[in-house]
Amino acid sequence: MSAPGPRRPRPRLEVPASAPRSRPDEAAAAGLPFLLDFLPREGEAETRLARFFARLREGRLSTSRCPRDGTLSWPPRTVCPRCHQGELSWVDLPETGRLYAFSAVLAGAPLGMEADVPFSVGLVDLDGVPLRIFGRVVGRPWSELHVGDAVAVEPYVTDDGRAFYRFRTPPGARAHAAPATPC
Amino acid sequence: MAIVGGASTDWGVRPATWTELAQEVGEALFRAVPALRGEDVDSLFLGAAMPERFAFQSHVAPLAAEQMGLRPTRLLQRTELACASGQSAIRSAYAAIASGLSDVAVAVGVEKMNLPSIPEANTAMACVLDRAWDGPGGITAPSFFAMVAQRHMLEHGTTPEQLAAVSEKNHRFANSNPHAQFYRKTFSREKLLGLPVVAPPLRVGDCASMTDGAAAVVLVADELVRRYPGPVAWVRGTSQYSDFHNLANAGSLTEWPGLKHTAREALRQARVEVGDLDLAELHDCFTISEIVEYESIGLCDPGEGGRWAADGASELGGALPVNTRGGLLGCGHPLGATGISQALEVYEQFASKVPSSRQVPDPTWALVHNLSGSANVHSVMVYERGEAA
Repeated sequence: MSAPGPRRPRPRLEVPASAPRSRPDEAAAAGLPFLLDFLPREGEAETRLARFFARLREGRLSTSRCPRDGTLSWPPRTVCPRCHQGELSWVDLPETGRLYAFSAVLAGAPLGMEADVPFSVGLVDLDGVPLRIFGRVVGRPWSELHVGDAVAVEPYVTDDGRAFYRFRTPPGARAHAAPATPC
Repeated sequence: MAIVGGASTDWGVRPATWTELAQEVGEALFRAVPALRGEDVDSLFLGAAMPERFAFQSHVAPLAAEQMGLRPTRLLQRTELACASGQSAIRSAYAAIASGLSDVAVAVGVEKMNLPSIPEANTAMACVLDRAWDGPGGITAPSFFAMVAQRHMLEHGTTPEQLAAVSEKNHRFANSNPHAQFYRKTFSREKLLGLPVVAPPLRVGDCASMTDGAAAVVLVADELVRRYPGPVAWVRGTSQYSDFHNLANAGSLTEWPGLKHTAREALRQARVEVGDLDLAELHDCFTISEIVEYESIGLCDPGEGGRWAADGASELGGALPVNTRGGLLGCGHPLGATGISQALEVYEQFASKVPSSRQVPDPTWALVHNLSGSANVHSVMVYERGEAA
């Protein structure tokens, strides 16, 4: 498998100037105790995957690839799960994909997400690479989603200044005809 | 070795703490197994999925031992495998006895899940999945299994009515189980199809509940089985399969090759075929789970699980009665206790200790399955009925 081709330049994400970045107390900034916060540690002092988050801030979703055996992993890793060696390289992932499956959280949301209800989630087949990754799906409401719908990868910065990714459905556009699901 | 007895507390939203549930199950165990003496129990295995979250307590194995009035001298440990923590305790007891280290082991499961803060409890449950990478998007157990259901509907034409057939069956069986969370509560298919949607296409009745409860079984070495009168459940097969954790590595949502593999392996160890089984306890954390399990174990063809359920094949008198205890849907799902309670149902079916309304006639072979997490791990045990003396 090969890395995705050249990318067009993308504007850097707007990050509030006052937002704390990758500090140990970042979860507290989100109003949650550290041990009830879902977002991964992202700072240089906390994770060996800090470059992943730095690239997210540049609007690029990336992951690790093993130069020895070509294994493309999700989530990004520090050691290849196939050949067990730890010299991995970074590759950018495609900016688009299609919904393989989706649902919505109408009840039972975790702490910190209650205000988001109802929200949609889905597994997305990224275009051109053998990766199917999970994430929040924003844009159209769940009742207007269909398996096979095109979505865009959307890196974003949380209110407290941390970077993650989600998927966005183009408004009203269905680029791919797929059978409607019963839900 | 064999299971020679066991007991359960009442399950549900209990006005009782974690430690009180442990005391309660100890009382129930010694009442149910009069031949058991506390000093004979050399090992204790505690299935407890997340007491740190739900009870703010670690180092729970000695706490459970103290509460039950036990002083293990050989092996004392907690087993954690999320929804399969209880079966893990039994499998660990099996391994301890098989190695010769233990002669009499208790496998107990205790879970307290109903908290004053429901979102905190939901957060604890979401941490079973890949917290850092799937968590921020808002993954929950219902929304994951909803995607399994959506794909099954898309690929095989499975219907909400077929999901409701599974739920109605298991809730009906739970009406014969006084320990069940939904004892004496009736759910017709029509009622189930009108309940609120939790995660489309799954409704409330498609999902197992948050439950407080405990259960315990006693496993003893072959040469000691004769001390315990009455029928016993011999452990004849035990197998497990783990193939991923992050959802990106799940592959197909509707085929569970790990379960196919582990069921086949456990049956091979027991030297029986799936057609030889007389009852099965399958992990119905969601209605769709039980349907995919029928298919993966080989009870029906791939894609036929919904029809198999709706046709009554998993009812008493059907091809294979499934979840006569009431399942996770009817009994509730106190994570660490569920696998223990399933094994207890097998023992009590073998010993004719269940109400006649759910008694399988003369059962000899039983299979117990737990999945954990996003069905990324499958654990299976096979039991044979036997006489102690």
